[in-house]
Amino acid sequence: MELTDADLVARVLVDDDQHAFGELVRRHQSSVRGLLRQLTRTDLALADDLAQETFLRAYKNIRSFRGEARFSTWLYRIAYNSFRENARRRKEFVGIDEERLQAAHDPQVADPGLRHDLMHALSLLPLHERSAVLLCCQNGLSYDEAARVLDIPLGTVKTNVLRGREKLKRTLAAWGPD
Amino acid sequence: MDRRLREAAPHIDDNGFTARVLQQLPAPRHARRSLRGAILLGITLLASVLVYVISDGGRFLVVAMARLTTLPAFWLFALAFCSGILVMIAGVIAATAKASELQS
Repeated sequence: MELTDADLVARVLVDDDQHAFGELVRRHQSSVRGLLRQLTRTDLALADDLAQETFLRAYKNIRSFRGEARFSTWLYRIAYNSFRENARRRKEFVGIDEERLQAAHDPQVADPGLRHDLMHALSLLPLHERSAVLLCCQNGLSYDEAARVLDIPLGTVKTNVLRGREKLKRTLAAWGPD
Repeated sequence: MDRRLREAAPHIDDNGFTARVLQQLPAPRHARRSLRGAILLGITLLASVLVYVISDGGRFLVVAMARLTTLPAFWLFALAFCSGILVMIAGVIAATAKASELQS
């Protein structure tokens, strides 16, 4: 019978079982690294460094995991905080205005040979909308869980998801059918 | 839209990522506990040897045992009983502390 995340966390807490922690890493590394790749606009090296930092922080602070939310939600919060701290250190440009977004998919402006896919459209969203869309739409978190990860009000999450989705739909509509 | 987003996010192979994370973890507590146990045992043995040498072959122990044997049976029984109670209380406290740790 496969152990649940809660069982594995208990083993880490009680016995300092690093094999159990390794299993947790194996289970969640893909989603955490995927989220960070999207947040960092596909900077793979940076995303993996932040992902390693995320799991190390999770191990050191595992006693603070209270089990009220899913383990993955708690991990996403650590990952997002790691990303934000890194962005502040690097003074990352985290926003983009509507005009640039429109110009990117205007066939008269963009390179007609350039293939605009969904991930490129995501990378053009402002950070707050991109984060909300990634967590709720791609990773399946509830609005409540996403609000905890991002440490923003529930209403703000809903607004950001709505706006992000609308922008993506407009962008994809301009590219035409698949 | 959500389905498209999920499909556009492929599974990322581990490719040694987990191993790299585990390499950076601090040494497990049980390894540190074994070392602590070995150090405590070593110090205890050293202290015992020192006491034996300083006390002229543990003569004070012989004297203490001799005095114990002269005690009335009732007092011997009471001493053994109280020692047992003390050990039991210490065990209960340790078990309760461990249970609280597990529950939290």
